[in-house]
Amino acid sequence: MDEGIGRGAGIFASACACGIASGMFGIGGGVLLVPLLGLLFSFSQHRAQGTSLIALIPPTGILALLSYSKEGYVSWKTGLLLIPGVFLGGVAGGFLAKKIQPERMRQIFAGILFVLGAWQALFGR
Amino acid sequence: MTLLIILLGLGVGVLVGLLGIGGGVVLVPAMVYLLHLDQHMAQGTSLFILLPPVGLGALREYWKQGQVDLRAGLLCALGMLLGGYAGSLVAFPIPSRILKGLFGCFLMLAAILLWAKSYLETRQSERDTEPNHG
Repeated sequence: MDEGIGRGAGIFASACACGIASGMFGIGGGVLLVPLLGLLFSFSQHRAQGTSLIALIPPTGILALLSYSKEGYVSWKTGLLLIPGVFLGGVAGGFLAKKIQPERMRQIFAGILFVLGAWQALFGR
Repeated sequence: MTLLIILLGLGVGVLVGLLGIGGGVVLVPAMVYLLHLDQHMAQGTSLFILLPPVGLGALREYWKQGQVDLRAGLLCALGMLLGGYAGSLVAFPIPSRILKGLFGCFLMLAAILLWAKSYLETRQSERDTEPNHG
């Protein structure tokens, strides 16, 4: 019974927390969802990533987007230009992830993220 | 400028597939620093970019490997839909400058979690492959 109600409720609660971060910071939430699925529910890394990707297929950010656009906080033109690149790059990245052991890659990414965050928190003006 | 934006999209996309993330966490600072959008504007635009299933191509590769938990994925999608709306309401009254700082703190937290996850996993696989002494 490891697929029990409690586990489902726990995953749902974690996803709600990821959603709040998603709406607050305008992100997908995967960056939080992937490590949480792994740390709290012992998903393997590839499984956590695949599950995070499928959770992002339905437009989970739509309610948040509507409230941003009501405040005039959306640059539609920039967005339209970015979408095709992100999609095509995603195919390439998914292919690469199969080929390589992305453990080292992830640690480097975490390092870059930390520096970026520290920089933005301290000098972000 | 247009070329820069398209190249930025491609670069972020590779990370999306490689790490199984939405990409917003990289898009928002990139739009703030490279394209000089205001913090709220960058966040709203990032949500717009994530609206179509940009990760679909990447997901296909994971699906073929059987690395997708459909039930957990659906639960997560529902939670993020509701949480996302609540989060946006929290963000609006916060001044752009402060929000930028909070975003920075969030990135550091995400980095620590990401690192902890991959650190624990490496340790685990090292333990699994250690020769058995007895």
